[in-house]
Amino acid sequence: MEYLADGLAAALHLLLHLDDATRAAIAATLLSTGYAMTAAMLLGLPVGFALGYASFPGKRALRLLSDTLLAFPTVLIGLLVYAFITYRGPLGEWGLLFTLPGMAIGQAVLALPIVVSWTAQAVESLDPRCRETLLTLGARPLQVARLTLWECRYAIGMVCVTAFGRVITEVGIAMMLGGNIRYATRTMTTAIALETSKGEFAQGIALGLVLLLMAFAVNLLLAFFRRRGRA
Amino acid sequence: MSALYECRDLVQRYAGREALRLPELTVDAGEVLALTGPNGCGKSTLLRLLAFLERPASGLLRYAGGAEPRQEVTLLLQDAYLMRCSVFANVTLGLRLRHQRQDLRAIYEECMRAVGFAAPGELAGRDRRALSGGERQRVALAARLALRPRVLLLDEPTASVDARSARAIVDAVRDCVRRGTTVICATHDRALMAALAAREVALGRRWDESESAAASAPPAGAGGAA
Repeated sequence: MEYLADGLAAALHLLLHLDDATRAAIAATLLSTGYAMTAAMLLGLPVGFALGYASFPGKRALRLLSDTLLAFPTVLIGLLVYAFITYRGPLGEWGLLFTLPGMAIGQAVLALPIVVSWTAQAVESLDPRCRETLLTLGARPLQVARLTLWECRYAIGMVCVTAFGRVITEVGIAMMLGGNIRYATRTMTTAIALETSKGEFAQGIALGLVLLLMAFAVNLLLAFFRRRGRA
Repeated sequence: MSALYECRDLVQRYAGREALRLPELTVDAGEVLALTGPNGCGKSTLLRLLAFLERPASGLLRYAGGAEPRQEVTLLLQDAYLMRCSVFANVTLGLRLRHQRQDLRAIYEECMRAVGFAAPGELAGRDRRALSGGERQRVALAARLALRPRVLLLDEPTASVDARSARAIVDAVRDCVRRGTTVICATHDRALMAALAAREVALGRRWDESESAAASAPPAGAGGAA
């Protein structure tokens, strides 16, 4: 057990005097997660809102597909995206493999079903009196849709935070599509895996602590949205 | 008076089950109507149809007002819903939806006082969670009054509020009637009907408007005494 205590002490030292490699891993994690979340929100929010709000042919099939993709194994996502962005793949000439944008594509694919399904769920769960109230106040269809989305803001905030938490702690996609290249695509999770395999617990625990702090911040945000959403 | 609403053989069904059957109903502009009848007889359904929240399964529903009825007709639900924003934002929401930006504060104050709030300014920034059930109902009514509607539809407005709130609601609706607003109110509250001098239309039995009307108070064309 001594090595754990030593690792923790060294981790605290590392955290206080962040070295270049740790800083780079944190930056890569935040960048790729940021790209992925931006893409997932831009694509997923309108689709999720439409699924929860409107009625159209094929809606149930789309919802079923989105719900099924929630259980998509991350390794399979990594494999599929790899097949597309590898040098022999259809997007190979873009040179995305082993880059942050390449990783972000895989992470966006992971986050997308979460954003779509849970946004749809949030809109469906909204009190039906909300729409009726807006209509009785003379709102036009576009105004009703806009205000319905606004009324779901806390629930949607919760969706974003949940998807962010899922993406930032993911390791399989980051490893397969990023290649764990130091100072380039090495994220906190892939660094932890690497350092642990080398027996460098201090570095691993330091990065683990940073991840834990982020998870704590994410949970604080979740609690905030949950509290506001219940009102 | 000219007929504002004209309904004939109006039927509404939900999932194949008949929720309302109304052979005939005419509502004149400026009239005050009380819809009565047992639970499940279709009072709320009729109000939803008159508010154009849904279309009837069959029958005729004619509105002789403007081309955009939803801009003239408003409905206060039995258990009113307030949006997740301040009391001020809730009361002025309908006006802002109509892109009215001027005099919002003055209109807010006037409508809140009309529903019995002595100090509207203190409530303006308050969240809906901080309001009691009666206060919510009155704030929701204030939001409808702010629109100066041509038709005010009320679904059991005093059913779930205390006596003080009920009095405030009755007073506010009576003011509306004096201004010439057409009021149609689903209620079991005899005191409310008397206060508004409403013509009673009983639903939920073999429908005969003339019979019901004969047994009820006269129309409130003159303003309605308590």
